[in-house]
Order: sequence, then structure tokens, then C-alpha cells
Amino acid sequence: SHVQSKEETDYDETPQEKKLRLAKLYLEQLKEEEDDKAEDDSFETDLIAGRLQEEVVRLMPPDASEIRVLRGHKLPITCLVISSDDKYIYSAAKDCSIIKWDVESGKKLHTIPGGRKGTEDRHVGHTTHILCMAISSDGKYLATGDVNKLIMIWEAETCKHLYKFTGHKGPVSGLSFRRGTHDLYSASHDRSVKVWNVDENAYVETLFGHQDAITGLDSLSRELCVTAGGRDRSVRVWKIAEESQLVFHGHEGSIDCIQLINEEHMITGADDGSVSLWSVNKKRPLSTVKKAHGCHGDAGLEQPHWVASVAALQNSDTVASGSHNSHVRLWKCGQNYRGLEPLFSVPVTGFVNSLKFSSSGQFLVAGVGQEHRLGRWWRLKEAKNAIYIIPLKRKLPNPEEARIPE
Amino acid sequence: MTRTAMKGNEKQREAKVLKKKNVAASSSDDDDDSDVERNFALLTERGRGGGAEEGQLHHGGEEDFSDEDEEGSDGGPEEEEEGGEEAPDGREEEEEEDSDASEDDEDEDPEAAGGSGEMQTTDGVKNELSNMSFEDVMKLQNKVGTKVYNEVAYGGSRSHAAGQKKRLNKNRPMEISAKRRAPFLRHVVSVKKPTSRDPRFDDLSGEYKPEIFEKTYNFINDIKQREREIVQKKLKKTKTNTPHKEELKFLLKKMDNQERARKSREEQRERELQFKRARRERANQGARPFFLKDSDKKKLELAEKYQDLKKSGKLENFLSKKRKRNAGKDRRKLPRELQNKRFQ
Repeated sequence: SHVQSKEETDYDETPQEKKLRLAKLYLEQLKEEEDDKAEDDSFETDLIAGRLQEEVVRLMPPDASEIRVLRGHKLPITCLVISSDDKYIYSAAKDCSIIKWDVESGKKLHTIPGGRKGTEDRHVGHTTHILCMAISSDGKYLATGDVNKLIMIWEAETCKHLYKFTGHKGPVSGLSFRRGTHDLYSASHDRSVKVWNVDENAYVETLFGHQDAITGLDSLSRELCVTAGGRDRSVRVWKIAEESQLVFHGHEGSIDCIQLINEEHMITGADDGSVSLWSVNKKRPLSTVKKAHGCHGDAGLEQPHWVASVAALQNSDTVASGSHNSHVRLWKCGQNYRGLEPLFSVPVTGFVNSLKFSSSGQFLVAGVGQEHRLGRWWRLKEAKNAIYIIPLKRKLPNPEEARIPE
Repeated sequence: MTRTAMKGNEKQREAKVLKKKNVAASSSDDDDDSDVERNFALLTERGRGGGAEEGQLHHGGEEDFSDEDEEGSDGGPEEEEEGGEEAPDGREEEEEEDSDASEDDEDEDPEAAGGSGEMQTTDGVKNELSNMSFEDVMKLQNKVGTKVYNEVAYGGSRSHAAGQKKRLNKNRPMEISAKRRAPFLRHVVSVKKPTSRDPRFDDLSGEYKPEIFEKTYNFINDIKQREREIVQKKLKKTKTNTPHKEELKFLLKKMDNQERARKSREEQRERELQFKRARRERANQGARPFFLKDSDKKKLELAEKYQDLKKSGKLENFLSKKRKRNAGKDRRKLPRELQNKRFQ
């Protein structure tokens, strides 16, 4: 206690000195915080710097010889999915069959044949056109939806039939698994979105809101899905946890296809030939490209080519759109996703009914047919019902260009 | 058969209680659903307490069925496997029949609703669920959805409809509930409701000025003339002693009266104008303008009237009538003794 009292007496300070001491203490604390922040910032800038390098890299169009064609379906292909490890492609066609392809070799691994109309009880598989497919991110389940209001669940590895989900009152037109889970979202022409749990083979709930048949559905890792509403010209983002929806309006024609680019942006294509880029924060599209694939028809009666499918490279700024003007067009989203500029186009004859980027971005797969996936308005005889694997090359920046910032 | 039928009943009733949570079920029976849902909307509006009696009904029903269930639980699954294919058809038919019956029940119950029906029904449902066979439970789950089922079976803590979600700014998308079915008819063009306005009280029509009104709508008088002629012709044509003739006469008289009234109003206005002109002239000439008293105005009017009567020759008639009237009025003012006495 003697020592303590000595310290206390030594420590006797005037109020001004106390203020000074406290101020210095505060300043030190602030400085520490600033240092921490600076550390975080520098960490982030390193990441950004790394990404910037990639952004400067440009995608190059492939040579015609490098495009691989996988033929096997007899009728036009309606939809396809790529497994997340980029090894397998599953495709479905108007003959109601599903084929599992190996990407490397281009060989057919499994074929699930389609059944004829009327054999629903006997046949294991679909008996009507398959409109949509989805694969879970771990590659375990494959889901397919057809015109006969059924959703079939298959084991992706062996293509064994697992479950059949009934409940929709109209053709099932959109399917998507939530990334990292086995929750399946389905959309149908009966204007409803249904949530299913594939693990437990159970139906969870239904969501309503669309005023016309739903034409497309997509989801990422959040408990959220986006749907394209066809003729009601609306795109809706469904917040499933909160049971609410966000409504976006745009396009002048029927919105036929939709894909999410990242958690905040999506791209849609319509049957008036326009492609639109959307953000979740704005009720109208950020940018629209009209007549993205040109027009066709007699002079004076020109109609724009319908955009049959769109695809987006995950978390990047590259999107692709497909129609039947013999080109798949690739687009680049501008700064902050403000605009859409054309990059290049890949020659592909026929109706590009489905487009998917591989998760690594190495190639783009197009499912092509002689007819549109939803009907037979036109038939292009010179086209082939096949899968086109289009490799995407990257051009690295020149060494001289890279040296300048340094 | 009866046991499976009754199980079907049970299951169906439960499905309805679960649907009480304002959720539309997924599968078949759309017509039943819509009626049932309407009833449940009613029930839930009543503060979700709804049928206390209904809950009791359930309880009563359960006691009967639970006994049977316990008895039949061993043979139950076997029976259901065999009758599995038959039961759905039978059940569907019975559902349709029963839904009508139970709808009536439910219609009556909310009226007699008491308090905490909510607690009783969830307990009742949990009781029933515990008694139902697993296959039935799975079927129920499939029908109503696992989300709703979990809520009911394990206690629902769902905060009802977050309410009006406000947009931060008007460029952001609209946020609405995802559980309401969209109306069948699409909103294409907004139709404007025809708003009616009364020109008498509407500021848009301005103030009423008789001269301007008469001038602009003068053409109506011609139309009235023509109509009077038509009515007169019709009157000539109709046979006598029909009620129609009386009506036509009445109509003609009305038209004539209106015309006369209009004419007298016009004459009044003319006279006023004359006075005004006279005044103006006097003012122009320098002398002070001449304003008449009301009584003087009346005298002048009377004089004019006499002139007209003389022309038409009815002056004698008019004057005698007037004398009679005045005599009657004067007699009333006499003292009582002299009133009834005749002038001798």
C-alpha cells in the first residue's frame, strides 16, 4: 500500500493534463483502427488487382474447326445442362429422350429413351416434350420437367429414375436447383412457382403472382429465384424466405428466357428480338439491345428473330444469346453493368434452343434444333439437331501493355 | 372399406384445418379448394379464433375415430396397401360430398364463434396427427406442403404478412406478397370510371344568366313547338274514352302552360329592358334617371293587361270574375252577424 500511495501521489495531475492524456489515448485508438482498415483495404486491392488482370483478358472467337458437334438426338434439342465439374452434359430433345454426354470424348454415356404418348403408366421416363432441366450443384440429382405437368428426378450418375413430382397444373417450363442444396424450384404454365425438397421427396410450397405462363426460371445460391413471365412482360424475383416478390417490368414482347449473371443482375431475351440486362435494384432494365439478332421476312414485313435462349458466364460480364439467324452472339456488359456491347458471334445454323456456359468459362454449349423448342413455327432443313461445344479462348494482354502500369 | 373411408374423412378435415393458415394447397380438387378457401378466409378474418365450436366438433369426432384407429392400427397398413388403389378414387368422391356438408358446418360455426379456438384446433390437429398412420401423414404433407405442415405440427411462429412494404425510392421494384393468387383476368387497359357532374352545382358551368341561357338554347322552343303539333295530331286521332286520351290532353295542357309561362317571363324581361333603355336615354340627355316603385310597376302591368283583354274581348268576363272574388274576400272581413246575410 505504501508503493500504491506513492504511485497515486506521483499520478496527481491537473485536469488539463488528464484531458491531454485521454486525448492521446483516443488518438492512439483511432490510429489503430485506421491501420486495421488500411490492412483490409490493401488486402482487397490485391484481390481487385488480380481480377483486373483477368478483365483485361479478352475472349476470342474460336475457329470454325474447333467447334465440336455432338449428334445423337433425332429431333430438335429443347434444353441442356452442364454438370458443375464441366465433365458431363445432359440434353433433352423433342423425342422425349435424355442423353448424358461426356465432354472430353464426346461419347454418349447414358440414354433415357422417350416414351410414346399414352404409355405414361408403363414407361419410365417422359412421354411428352421436355421443356426444362436442372442439375444440383453437387452433381447428384437431375431434374427434368415436361409438358405433361410432371417433374422427374433422376440420379445424375447412373441416370436412374428416382422420384416423380406431380402437382403442377400446367406444363413445367422452368427448373432450377438452389446452389449447394437440394431445394428445387419449378415454374409452370399454370403461373405458379413451386418449391420442392428433393432429399425428402416432398413438396414445400407454392408461390403466386405471375399473370401469364412462366417461361423461364433461374436461381443461384440465395434462397431466391427469378422468373420470366412471358406475355405479362414482367420479371419477378421471388424471396422465398419472406414469401414476397419483387416485380420488374420491361420488354415489349413475350419474355422467353432468363439467366442470372450474379446475385444482383440478370439477362433476359424476348420474342421481339430484344435482350435486356437487369439489376435487382431497378424496376426497369438497365440496358436493352433491340433486334439483337436482326430481322427476317419479306421486304416491308420484317420481323425480328426471336431470342430463343440466353446464357451468362457466372460472376463475369460475358453473356450470350441465341436465336435462329445462324449466329450465337456474345455480349459484354459495360461498366457497372450499364450497357451491352457486342463482342463477337459464332456461326451456328438452326434454332439455338439452349445455351449454357461451363462453370470455368472454358466453353459454351449450344443445343440446336431444326425447330423452336416450343413449337413448329419454322423448320430449318439445313440445320442439324445436335449439341455444339464452342471453346472460348482467352487472349492475354501483350507483355508491353502489362509493363506500362508498373 | 368404411374404415378407410373414415380415414379419408379425417385426412380431408385435417387438410382443411391446415389450410386454415391461409395457404392454397397444391394438388387436385380445385373447385373444392376455392369454396373451402373462401370459408377459411372468413374464418381467419375472425381473428383466427374462428370455430371454437369447430374445434370441439373435431374433438368429438376424434374420440370416435381414435378408438377405431387403435383397433384397426395393426390391420390398417395392410388394408391400405391392398385398398390403396381403390381408396383414392373413393376418397375423392367422398371428399366432394363431404366438403359440401362440412362447408355448411363451417359457415354456421363462425357465427357462434367463441374465444380461443386457435389453441384448441392446433391441439386437436396435433392429436389427430399423432393418431394418423404414417402413410396418411405423408400424403397430407404432400398435399398441403411441408412448410405449412411443419408450422402446424411443430407450432407456427409465422408473423402474418409483413404488411405494406415501402419502396425506398420509386426506381426500385415493387414488392408484393407471393402467396396471393393473381386474378384470372389480366389488367390490360385502365378503364376510366365515368364521373357524373351536376351542371347546376358545378363551378365549371359558371353562373346562371337567364338572357344568355335563353339566347343560346332558343332552338329548343322550335323543338317544343313541333312536339306540341305532334301531340295535337295524336290527340285528334285517338278514340274517345280511353285513358290514353286523358294523358294526351294532360300533356298538351302542360305544354301549353309551360309555353305561356315562358312567354310571360319573356315579356317581363322585355319590360325591364325598356325601362333600362328609358333610364339610359334620360341619363344621356342629362336628366336624372327614373326609377319606378314596385307598386307603380304593378299598376303599369295591370294597365297593359287590360289593353290585351280589351283586344281579345274578354275584358267583361275578367272584370266580373274579379268582382266576385273581391266580394267574397270582403265578406270575410265583415263582423260575424252580417257574414251570412245576403245583401237585400
